[in-house]
Amino acid sequence: MQKIFLIARSEYLRRVRTKTFILTTLLAPVLMFAVIALPVALAVFTEDDSARRIALVDETGRLAEPLIEALPSAYAIEVVDEPVDSLRAQVLDGRLDGFFVLPEGLMDGTSGATYYGRGGGGLSQQMALQGALRDAVRRRRIRDVGAGDEVLALLDERANLDLVAVSEEGDAADRAVISSIIGYMLGMLIYVAVLIYGMMVMRGVIEEKSTRIVEVMASSARPYQLMMGKVFGIGAVGLTQLTGWSVLMMVAGVLAGPLMAMAFSPDIMNGPGVNMPEGVATGDLPFDPAALASVLTPGLLVSFVGFFLGGYLLFSALFAAVGSAVEQESDAQTLQFPVMLPIMLPIFFLPYLIEKPDATLSVFLSLFPFSSPIMMTVRMTVTSVPAWQVLLAFVFLGLGFMVMIWIAARIYRVGILMYGKKATLRDLWRWARTA
Amino acid sequence: MPLLQVEHVTKRYGNLTAVDDVSFSAEPGRIFGLLGPNGAGKTSIIRMITYIMVPDTGQISLGGQPVGPETQPRMGYLPEERGLYKKLKVGEQLVYFARLKGMSGSAAERAVRHWLARFDAADWYGKKVETLSKGMQQKVQFIVTIVHGPELVILDEPFSGLDPINAELLQEVIAELRNAGRTVLFASHRMEQVEQICDDICLIAEGRVVLSGPLREVKRQFGSNTVTLVFDGPEGWLDALEAEGAVSVLSRTAGHVTARLLNATAPRRVLDAALAAVQEVYHFELHEPPMDEIFRMVVGGERTPAELGTT
Repeated sequence: MQKIFLIARSEYLRRVRTKTFILTTLLAPVLMFAVIALPVALAVFTEDDSARRIALVDETGRLAEPLIEALPSAYAIEVVDEPVDSLRAQVLDGRLDGFFVLPEGLMDGTSGATYYGRGGGGLSQQMALQGALRDAVRRRRIRDVGAGDEVLALLDERANLDLVAVSEEGDAADRAVISSIIGYMLGMLIYVAVLIYGMMVMRGVIEEKSTRIVEVMASSARPYQLMMGKVFGIGAVGLTQLTGWSVLMMVAGVLAGPLMAMAFSPDIMNGPGVNMPEGVATGDLPFDPAALASVLTPGLLVSFVGFFLGGYLLFSALFAAVGSAVEQESDAQTLQFPVMLPIMLPIFFLPYLIEKPDATLSVFLSLFPFSSPIMMTVRMTVTSVPAWQVLLAFVFLGLGFMVMIWIAARIYRVGILMYGKKATLRDLWRWARTA
Repeated sequence: MPLLQVEHVTKRYGNLTAVDDVSFSAEPGRIFGLLGPNGAGKTSIIRMITYIMVPDTGQISLGGQPVGPETQPRMGYLPEERGLYKKLKVGEQLVYFARLKGMSGSAAERAVRHWLARFDAADWYGKKVETLSKGMQQKVQFIVTIVHGPELVILDEPFSGLDPINAELLQEVIAELRNAGRTVLFASHRMEQVEQICDDICLIAEGRVVLSGPLREVKRQFGSNTVTLVFDGPEGWLDALEAEGAVSVLSRTAGHVTARLLNATAPRRVLDAALAAVQEVYHFELHEPPMDEIFRMVVGGERTPAELGTT
């Protein structure tokens, strides 16, 4: 046990002190933050401050006023009566940004309006124009049948729908959208983390073998101790990095808040120009801290760390076994496939599991040790899983990794001494049986 | 009382018998040479002594105790193929290996500093291994082997790749270890090194012991049937002697020849033939066959000394 600790400590320190580790730990969140924030920031800051000059050919004669009212103030509207050809020319030489043509039939729905522009402007502009037009036409139609201002005001009244999830612990607001987003994220996080740190174990074993350190090591400690020391050491590296990332992400989240608010401010979201479904309040948006907290419960976070560690232990032992059988990383391709397959497979079942978290297959996948690290974490995020099932998943996972480590150690202790001929899967199996 | 005892050890890999009923023992204060061509089974034997592998049958014991995890700290092993963690500093690396051998942190650090100084490398302590030359790295690897003060030091081809100065330093340290009562097991296929430093030898071929005992005794078994002649002049007389089956030439460079006497040829026949043909003879000596010749005779023909015919 003391030797495992010594080895784990050396493995840990050797990696944590490298520039690569420090840089990836610091830069990965910056990068992710950049990926999320940059487009938003770009959209916000490059937004054209100058008013958009738009001409309006109103053949109905009574839509101009409500449309101008419905469009955001950034649009400078000029009602004109010119032929389409001349307006086109103005758009082409830049005097106009675009123009609407509202035919007579628009009021009774027999024909549609047309907007001529130079293209571009993105989804937001399209939504703004479309929303404003629909709003204007509806208001005009209602006014035409004689409705007064109070009727129009009724249209703006909200009609909220609250979704409530019923469970034994009591009813709670259903956070279906946010919980599936977070479920996906946590599942992918475990998948990526197990893969990254499992590969790190494999690479470490290959390095020791190709630099021939392993023979001296094997004359000082048992192969099992070497393997477990490496697995624990790199597991600690993983925990350190994940912790570093979450801290940095929280900081980034705090910084990202104002940006998000700018991008999705109620002014834009629920502004008169955008036709958002009525009843969507900012409180229901995925980045609302209260909603996040209601999904990311302490129990889930503890289980997340537990399932990450369990999954990592299970698979990293197998990665170590694969690494022991080859002398360079490129030779590991075919051998590592059977290890990576069970890590990747659950990802294909994620949509199903999120859709039907309590189906038999979902329950099975969340208990089966090879898939439970990802699947149980996701299930716990999207539904309330009975505590006994979570415990059972941990018990199975524990048994699973004990069996895997036992098999892997047998392969490892033969593999580290094998040089020259390339080992096949069958060789590995033979080593595990006869070692 | 021998420190290391190997008794009837056999190891098979599939159908291949790598080590076949090998027995030998090595005593404290002596250098034991484990000799044999590549693939003879030397590395397999060493791996079983160091408990990296387990024999199929037979026993190995260190100081009367069967080898196992408990005997590992009492041995130091320098493998033929050896490496270090490139990114790790020399001092930290040595302390790590010493601690894996059971030393406490402070004792390990003291021992590391002592040995670095002994190898004129005290200022390497904080250097990364990757900044060292190959020769320097070999010194570090040797320190890894002995830093924890093992009773049994196993060196597999320790001189390969060393320059003459470092080779001499290493030889000195090996002698020191012997004089300090350690048991040194020296594995090699380089026979001239074996002759220089070993007290006892065990010759392995195809997994079996073909010859063993104290070096002097082994050589004496083969008798003084070899002549060396240093001369100036033509060499045709030598070909004539060889053609009639009187001698077999072992090594031959301009003006320097070593030959084995065959069929009870008298040493002076060689001298006479030479004197009749060459201008000058500087040196003539009758001696025991060199180790590499013994090695060739025994391994090549699988014959015992008795069968080889002595003078």
